[in-house]
Amino acid sequence: MKKTGFLYDDRYLLHDTGPYHPEAPDRLSVIYAGLEKSGLLAQLVRLEGSVAEMKWIESVHDKAYIELFQSVCQSGKSSFECEDNQLCYQTYDIARLAVGGILEASRLVMEGALDNAFCAVRPPGHHAEINQAMGFCYFNNIAIAARYIQSKWGIKRVGIMDFDVHHGNGTQNIFETDSSVFYYSVHEHPSFAFPGTGRAFEKGSGEGTGFTRNYPMLPGQGDEEYRSVIDNDFIPLFDQFAPEVLLISAGFDAHADDDMSGINLSTEGFTYIMERLVETANKHSGGRIISILEGGYSLKRLPELINNHIEILLKG
Amino acid sequence: MFVSRSMTQKVVTIDKNADILEAKELMEQYQIRHLPVVEPDGLLVGMITDRDLRSALPSTFYKKDKEPAKTAAVSSIKVKEIMTQNLVTLSPMDTLQDALLLMQKTLVGALPVVDEKDKLKGIISVRDLLRAFINVLGIGQPGTLLCILVEEKLGQLKKIVDIITEEKISFGSVLVARYWEEGKRAVFPYLLTNNVVNVKKKLKEKGYTLLEPMEWYMDQLPKAEIKDAE
Repeated sequence: MKKTGFLYDDRYLLHDTGPYHPEAPDRLSVIYAGLEKSGLLAQLVRLEGSVAEMKWIESVHDKAYIELFQSVCQSGKSSFECEDNQLCYQTYDIARLAVGGILEASRLVMEGALDNAFCAVRPPGHHAEINQAMGFCYFNNIAIAARYIQSKWGIKRVGIMDFDVHHGNGTQNIFETDSSVFYYSVHEHPSFAFPGTGRAFEKGSGEGTGFTRNYPMLPGQGDEEYRSVIDNDFIPLFDQFAPEVLLISAGFDAHADDDMSGINLSTEGFTYIMERLVETANKHSGGRIISILEGGYSLKRLPELINNHIEILLKG
Repeated sequence: MFVSRSMTQKVVTIDKNADILEAKELMEQYQIRHLPVVEPDGLLVGMITDRDLRSALPSTFYKKDKEPAKTAAVSSIKVKEIMTQNLVTLSPMDTLQDALLLMQKTLVGALPVVDEKDKLKGIISVRDLLRAFINVLGIGQPGTLLCILVEEKLGQLKKIVDIITEEKISFGSVLVARYWEEGKRAVFPYLLTNNVVNVKKKLKEKGYTLLEPMEWYMDQLPKAEIKDAE
């Protein structure tokens, strides 16, 4: 059995998005309860949130944007830049605690104290661009982790796989021209789903051309089509790129029972994807995976989805 | 929606006495396919397109150094000899819809925009129209598309807009299209949000049918008949 880290902190529940918001604290509560009930929690190395050093956040986001985010939170406003982005007084601090926890998990994996890790954080991150909060996201957690890993351990090739049902426009935006980070995203087609980016012809630019890959899926598609994308597109591409570490933007909103999308993945469909990802990391990355929670809004399905996700990480 | 707001104003133009190799260079440099031909005072006298150039220039297989006489002949062809005169033009106060319909009718790729004295004010090409319609559709901004089926009667859109507004959601655009079922219309609000769960629920509660996006095929719209070559 692998040494799998599990980042979770009760303070992540304090990011209050108001009533009727899908990105609610209950998401993490049901995930935690599910792991406890199944007995998996006892097999994990527990990690807590910690305050991220500003220099890492600034390695991705502009200082002026970070300061604006902080001041909006402290002014007592309930949204930032768009009604979607509901927040509260503590949101800035919680977002920083999320990043800090992820960096700590990354450190432990990179130093070999852990084999892999799952980070159950809020707020999510993959829509946040260098200068722009979007789609419930403020700091781009996975992008900051990638930069941190690159700069501290001199990693030349970071692979990011984003299977959240929405395109990670932020992550793409940050690494578009960067050939050292391969951003792969499979998501619901942007003509039908938020945020309207991630079309197949978006392939990166400049030196990064060919290191962004978008695979849009049509509403109604599910296990069979995803299996084909993973086997015939993702695996060959990542075999070629050979990432030294695999980061995952783990969103669970492509599940058929999740009403944030029209994609019909089953629980087994997610299992299939995750097993292939672990195989890919075993082949190229010494098994090193840092998986970070993005979306996933079905409170009924989240516990089983996360339990399976973590079981696969434990098996390695 | 006026042409003057969407046209290219800094137009690359050429003099009628310039030779056609110069026109070719300008088109390559600016990656354009249409050059309005103007007098020094801005009067529009013609248009030269990349297609005009292609038919005037020798084949790419022709070797310059072997046939100096032909090279000299080509170099001496003037823009005025091959340009199109009697142009279809637009005025700055025409609308985007005018431009769209006129292009469909005349089958040209770009229309010069002139004032009442035929002085060139701008040019509007298929590319400008594409950009304008991307703006109209609102798809440059993040959002989610809904497809709602409604009875074809007065006041339907107002009710839909009210429901969406109650949820504090902003609109990127709204399209209304014919539906293949008699007496029905399809309404496509493009909403600037990731969070459409509640608004979908409310629309259903009020009796609206939400179409699955994949049930909507453009090719099920009444088709234009393909005419024989005219």
